[in-house]
Amino acid sequence: MPEPLRLFQPTSIEEAVAVLAELGDDAKVVAGATALTLLYRQRLIAPGALVSIGRIPGLKTIEVVDGELRLGALVSHREVELSPVVRESIPVVADAFGKVANVRVRNAATVGGVMAESDYASDPPAVFVALDAVVDVQGSNGKRSIPASAFFVAFYETALEHDEIVIGVRVPVPPAGTGAVYHKFVTRSSEDRPCVGVAGVVRLHADGTVADLRVAVGAAAETPQRFWDTEALAIGKPLDADLIAQVADAYADQVDTLDDMRGSAWYRTEMVRVWVRRAIESAAAAAAPAR
Amino acid sequence: MDSHPSFAPSGTQMQVPGMLDANLRVRGRVEYAMDAKLPGMIHAKLLRSPHAHARLVSIDASRARALPGVIAVITGPDLANRDDIYPYYGPIFRDQSVLVMDKARFVGDPVAAVAAIDLDTAQAALDLIDVEWEELEPVLSLDDALAAGSIVHDEPPRLGQTFADIIVRTEANSNICNHFKLRKGNIEDGFAQADHVFEDVFTSPPVQHVPMETHNCVAWWENGVLRLISATQMPFSVRAQLAEIFKVPQTRVRITVPTLGGGYGAKTYAKVEPVTAVLAQVTGRPVRLHLTREEEFVTITKHGMQIRMKTGVTRDGKIVARHSTCYFNTGAYADIGPRLIKNGGFGTGGPHKIDNVWVDSYAVYTNLAPAGAFRGYGVSQAAWAYESQMDMIADRLGWDPYEFRMKNLLNEGEPVMTGEPMYDAHFKDLLATAAERIGWDANVKAVRHGNKVRGKGLSVIIKASVTPSTSSASVKLNEDGSLQILSSAVEMGQGAETTLSVLGGEVLDLRLDQVSITHPDTDFTPYDQGTSSSRNTYSMGTAVKMAVEDIKQQLFRLASDDLEVAIGDLEVFRGRVQVKGVPERSVGYGDLVRKARAGNLLATAVYASNGGLDPETGQGIGSVHWHQAAGAAEVEVDLDTGRIEVLKYHAGVYAGRIANPAQAELQTEGNIAFGLGQALYEEMIYDGGQLQNGNLADYMIVSIEDMPRQISLDVLERHESHDIHGIGETSLPPCMPAVGNAVFRATGVRILDLPITPEKVLRGLRANARPQAHVQEIDA
Ligand SMILES: Cc1cc2nc3c(=O)[nH]c(=O)nc-3n(C[C@H](O)[C@H](O)[C@H](O)COP(=O)(O)OP(=O)(O)OC[C@H]3O[C@@H](n4cnc5c(N)ncnc54)[C@H](O)[C@@H]3O)c2cc1C
Repeated sequence: MPEPLRLFQPTSIEEAVAVLAELGDDAKVVAGATALTLLYRQRLIAPGALVSIGRIPGLKTIEVVDGELRLGALVSHREVELSPVVRESIPVVADAFGKVANVRVRNAATVGGVMAESDYASDPPAVFVALDAVVDVQGSNGKRSIPASAFFVAFYETALEHDEIVIGVRVPVPPAGTGAVYHKFVTRSSEDRPCVGVAGVVRLHADGTVADLRVAVGAAAETPQRFWDTEALAIGKPLDADLIAQVADAYADQVDTLDDMRGSAWYRTEMVRVWVRRAIESAAAAAAPAR
Repeated sequence: MDSHPSFAPSGTQMQVPGMLDANLRVRGRVEYAMDAKLPGMIHAKLLRSPHAHARLVSIDASRARALPGVIAVITGPDLANRDDIYPYYGPIFRDQSVLVMDKARFVGDPVAAVAAIDLDTAQAALDLIDVEWEELEPVLSLDDALAAGSIVHDEPPRLGQTFADIIVRTEANSNICNHFKLRKGNIEDGFAQADHVFEDVFTSPPVQHVPMETHNCVAWWENGVLRLISATQMPFSVRAQLAEIFKVPQTRVRITVPTLGGGYGAKTYAKVEPVTAVLAQVTGRPVRLHLTREEEFVTITKHGMQIRMKTGVTRDGKIVARHSTCYFNTGAYADIGPRLIKNGGFGTGGPHKIDNVWVDSYAVYTNLAPAGAFRGYGVSQAAWAYESQMDMIADRLGWDPYEFRMKNLLNEGEPVMTGEPMYDAHFKDLLATAAERIGWDANVKAVRHGNKVRGKGLSVIIKASVTPSTSSASVKLNEDGSLQILSSAVEMGQGAETTLSVLGGEVLDLRLDQVSITHPDTDFTPYDQGTSSSRNTYSMGTAVKMAVEDIKQQLFRLASDDLEVAIGDLEVFRGRVQVKGVPERSVGYGDLVRKARAGNLLATAVYASNGGLDPETGQGIGSVHWHQAAGAAEVEVDLDTGRIEVLKYHAGVYAGRIANPAQAELQTEGNIAFGLGQALYEEMIYDGGQLQNGNLADYMIVSIEDMPRQISLDVLERHESHDIHGIGETSLPPCMPAVGNAVFRATGVRILDLPITPEKVLRGLRANARPQAHVQEIDA
């Protein structure tokens, strides 16, 4: 008979990290198991041991502290979506998590899981990158914090060391008057993963010029794409149709789009152009109070 | 609680809920084949070919056999060496072997089977089977197949007992699996009369049935009898096939069928049963095989299709000739493809009166997963071609697509494409209602606001039901006046058992709780051809009614003695026979049965429809009656992205007599879900013979969120009609062309290949960017 899969259910982060350190690549962390089960069943992974982190206390917090929204790694997508704390502090985060898959998946999938999975076609990562979120991780060498934009490295690859686990995500609450949106564009069923997803963040001065503009594009390339130089060009300028088109074109030019069943590279480039424009437009509309 | 109100067939005491087992279903209490647990049961797994086309050089299962927990491993060559079994199956050609013996013909072709004490062990054993393959040139496309550089089946087809009316026309050294011909009128003369001739090529891809329950069965041998509990739509066809494989009389095979978790054609004919039965024989234990979703994807599909259609019309809008060449990609094994091409082929004649029709319809072998029966049975592919082309012609000649259809739809008594007269024609009523419900306006093509544009599309189709075909039923009337129906109809969510109980019970004016019905059990329930082709309510329903009618006559004879009146003066009322209009002079059914000392009254009836087509001309009787449906869609297209939203959908279908209104509506809604998925998302994508999206994360069907916000249904009934028209499939084929036509009317972009993806639409918009005539601008 085949070797049975070993299951660990540590009750502290340190214990979990110790198991990971000892077993190395043979062990896989499991949280909501929505992604892991598929990978396992399709035999894309064959771990000898699972380290289920569900019994570790303290990873389910949702709170705003020091101007930051803190989401514990074990908070489910559904909890983020419905949380009054999230909806009041940074509604776009609740909105993006609410657009993932369907309610059955959202009830199980976790914040830590979506980060660690680093699937190019996930929704929340682009929002975290646009909002300058920080990922807190802990391993044998203690804790460290990684900016979301540096956390996603490649297809299914993150900055995590093999003995590190995600313990939470911190998102700076944008200043009052900031508009932030996430547009998920699907080309097939509404339960599909995105063909492209664009997060846009806009703050305007009273005269209509741009105080802050941030755009991250998800699902179009291996990792969420953000171009700080392009954003910087917009600062201080009036946010008119020309400027928005310039930013959208610049994103379309710079994202090295990929090809999959949801759209060809050509199509994705065109969709980046459309949805960056729309994201900026709707973020600006949401930021409107100043105008 | 039922969401649909119960209904009472007129003039009876019966109260019919939407579905008898709805409550059990919702609470998860329905027993499926996969719930069967037998003492000592073991589990099977299949080793499948990783290559699309490869010769089996050697296979060594010794390491797998040595794995603790493995009870048996069988390989293709093991079977080839046994002369007590005939290891081939297939409903028409016996071209599929129980396991690959000479060569694998698609990625997923099973070459070995393991039975082990649990699934993990069986799975682990698969990795220990060493197979050496020699790869052959694969036949991956229609072009590859026709070029015949590589041949999928090198030997002539093995035939066996099959449909009496099947026409087999194969070609040596080719990948043509079968050829159907239709020759009506004179095609040259027809085109000579035409003022305009249009020729277009349409394609639709292979797609999945996606029944919630994947194929599964349990097999065991008991005193020399092969027993199976199987999720099949066709117990008798499977029984015949297994008897042939094991070279035993059909009485040595017994199949029972519990409720199915959906079929849609996927569970017609033998699929998982042969290999499971062999494993059960070799191990002497009950063996279960239950396919994973990934395996389901490569077990059976809808036929991918290419149709070249040439249509001639006169200046005043009459269609005078149509020439179609159809290629149905039947994949690696024929399954029912050789027969389906007939329905798909003559189907291209459409619901139009066309005097001159010429059809060549081919089933073509390729090295892809086998294709077979799929809800719509070839007609979806045909209708995608002819109903798209109707609008293309109308557009090119500047006609209103509604008027152009009205001018050509069949009237009562006019000949259909197989030459027989159309009876009970309702195409025009269905189209008129569809146009009205969708708000058709000849003068407004598209309505634009901002970057969104809306448009509407129509379609009308005709479909045959399998003809000739046979159903039989037995009934027993018990001493308490209750009625038992013994039928082999398969309950698969469509409510067959509810409907048959109603049809049987109403003949004797019984309450529904006085009627019971069996699941199929080939030892006890009489023969039925199968629950497919929208035939059950009509065909089995007729057999049940005939049998109960026989019981009624027996009751009348008994009551005539008892009440001392002539038979002609008797009637049934609420479980009693009474003198017409005189309830005081009556006698209960139970009393009559007891007085007769019969124990129970018995009756059996056989309903067999007649028909068939001439092999050279395709003329004759194509269908016992012709199913009719219309569809209308309103879509909104995002001009920046090409994304389509279906805002409204109307489905109209002619039902003759409606046997159960709630179920008729649910079937029609189900068809819309199927149709919109195929219109917009569904497609099995292959790369070098490898399926790229063989799971439900990558392959998309519609979710409830994708259904139009407004759906209207028109299940048309003709009250004086006793004739029941099957409606399980009819409203599906109109969906795809209705959506395609709506997209065209909105944007001017005509998509010829399903599905209609946003990317194809955007490319079309960029390519022609034709300003639409008659576009209304409205402010957002
Ligand atoms: C049907 C379906 C549809 C989907 N559609 C969408 C969609 O539309 N948009 C979208 O964004 N996503 C979608 N997803 C993906 C879904 O969001 C992810 O599966 C989910 O976020 C993973 O979370 P989980 O808690 O279930 O992770 P798990 O499956 O438990 O783990 C996923 C991976 O992360 C690792 N991991 C988990 N937690 C941690 C941790 N704390 N530290 C370190 N490593 C960890 C695991 O080892 C594993 O490699 C879909 C998934 C399914 C099944």
